[in-house]
Amino acid sequence: MIAYLCAIGIVALIYCLLALGLNLQFGLTRLVNFGVVAFFAVGAYTSGLLALQGVPLVLCFVAAGVLAGVLALPIGLLSLRLRDDYLAIVTLGFSEAVRISIQQESWLTKGVQGLPGLPKLFASWGSGVSDVAIFATLLALVALVAWGTVRLAASPFGRLLKAIGDDEAALSALGKDPAWFKVQVFMLGAALAGLAGAFYAHFITFITPEQFIPLITFYVWMGLVMGGSGTVRGAVFGSLLLMVFLEGSRFAKDWVPGVSEVGMASLRLAAVGLALILVTLYKPNGLFGGSAGSAK
Amino acid sequence: MTWIDFVNLLINGLIEGLVVALPALAMTLVMGVNRFPNAAAGDMMTTGAYAAVAVQLLTGWPLWVAALGSMVITAMVSAGSYQLIFRKLAGRPMVSSMLAAIGLGFLLRSLIGFFAGHDQRTFDLPLVRAWNFGGIRVLPTDLAIAAVAAACLLVVFVLIYRTSFGRQLRAVADSADLARASGIRAGGLMLSLWLLVGALSSLGGVLLGMKAVVSPEMGWESLIPAFAAMVLGGIGSPVGAVLGALLLCVAQELAVPLMGPSYKLVLSFVVLALVLLVRPAGIMGRVQLVR
Repeated sequence: MIAYLCAIGIVALIYCLLALGLNLQFGLTRLVNFGVVAFFAVGAYTSGLLALQGVPLVLCFVAAGVLAGVLALPIGLLSLRLRDDYLAIVTLGFSEAVRISIQQESWLTKGVQGLPGLPKLFASWGSGVSDVAIFATLLALVALVAWGTVRLAASPFGRLLKAIGDDEAALSALGKDPAWFKVQVFMLGAALAGLAGAFYAHFITFITPEQFIPLITFYVWMGLVMGGSGTVRGAVFGSLLLMVFLEGSRFAKDWVPGVSEVGMASLRLAAVGLALILVTLYKPNGLFGGSAGSAK
Repeated sequence: MTWIDFVNLLINGLIEGLVVALPALAMTLVMGVNRFPNAAAGDMMTTGAYAAVAVQLLTGWPLWVAALGSMVITAMVSAGSYQLIFRKLAGRPMVSSMLAAIGLGFLLRSLIGFFAGHDQRTFDLPLVRAWNFGGIRVLPTDLAIAAVAAACLLVVFVLIYRTSFGRQLRAVADSADLARASGIRAGGLMLSLWLLVGALSSLGGVLLGMKAVVSPEMGWESLIPAFAAMVLGGIGSPVGAVLGALLLCVAQELAVPLMGPSYKLVLSFVVLALVLLVRPAGIMGRVQLVR
């Protein structure tokens, strides 16, 4: 039971990290990133592949964050010229392009077979203890990022970001150039997703392209929107709620007899779809959110 | 690549383009009028294809009758989704409508997967040999697909450019307020639009299923190509959507010998990104629609 809770906690914190990254991009700056999973995947594969070459894990994690951030640069630059709906589809297309490339370039990524046997983080501490250590590290990181986001939102830089989200034209009229800030925020959010990917890879220890489908992106969106985008509280509680939702449906299987594993996966997807519809219809500011755009 | 290979790829690309033109046209109509990219368009195609499979299984009717039935069913689903979801999201940020559309797509796809399973299905069609003109191979089924798609596009263009329905639609697309002020009632018009969009997507799904196979993921996989076609042609331009689809699919086919079939979607994405960078208004688009 403890091991199970620990595993759930780790996955929840990974989603938390993704949601905090998305919150920087969308919650603060209104950059619509429908390709979160691409940066998550790049982080996981970068770290996994380097670790298999014997690179120390710390360097793998750094590389994962850096590479995911760098990969966000062209998309961030593109985002400067696009309305949010175009950016949404471009990022969605980007995440599918990344997934297909990972699947096809088997000389590097082993294709659909995936990468088994990745080194586990803190493996030398023994299997039970390593999970607790991963959990604690993630918790510290999430707390740090959450604190950083709150500080950022309150700083002049953060106010600038919010102003970009609210009214970019007015900001340009005041003589500020929002472009570079948008790109920076996009890269920062992507780097966090990359780090989350590295944690995922070195917790699960087996990654395949199938784990990086667009559904993951919309899990994160669902968490953030449910919690209330633009708020750190919303991102954190939304991710926890998402976890209750995802894990709860696992238990729901016991109450709904006669539904196969595949059928249950379908029903879970249906519930995600329904939740996305209902939340946007009835709770657009989320359960913990105030008015849209307020960052507390 | 000999010129015969080239012609074969060209023909295949044109046929695929005609099929992709249907959802691209459906998306561009919604984008022009309701101002959001309908990310559920792909799954609406899947719904159409499975509705046709279901009608065929239940009744044993020939495919063309089943296709008509599926167009009616999908049109109702589409109009229902407008009435229940997108009508209420009008005036909210575009992201709300998009997220809801993604949610709707998941919902449709998963319900289909739940009730129909994840195995690939095919339509009950007679097997025919390809005609061979000195190496240039043409499948009669493909010709039928192209003819039906072209006929459907023609009907939609007549609707848009030659009827009062189309005139009103274009008026709303140009300026919703002005249209309302001049006495156009949006409610019924919107429902008709969404019925039309559903029927279009449904036929696209059936034709796609005839060309390949029917699976729960089929429509989702055409979402990015349809969107790329729409952007390439210019958002809100019906003619552009068709031209964009033809150009994109021919380009995709011609690239297959170089990159293999798996990278088709990646090419769609690259075309999309490049068009947005170089000529955001697309081939036929008006500049003011884009920032």
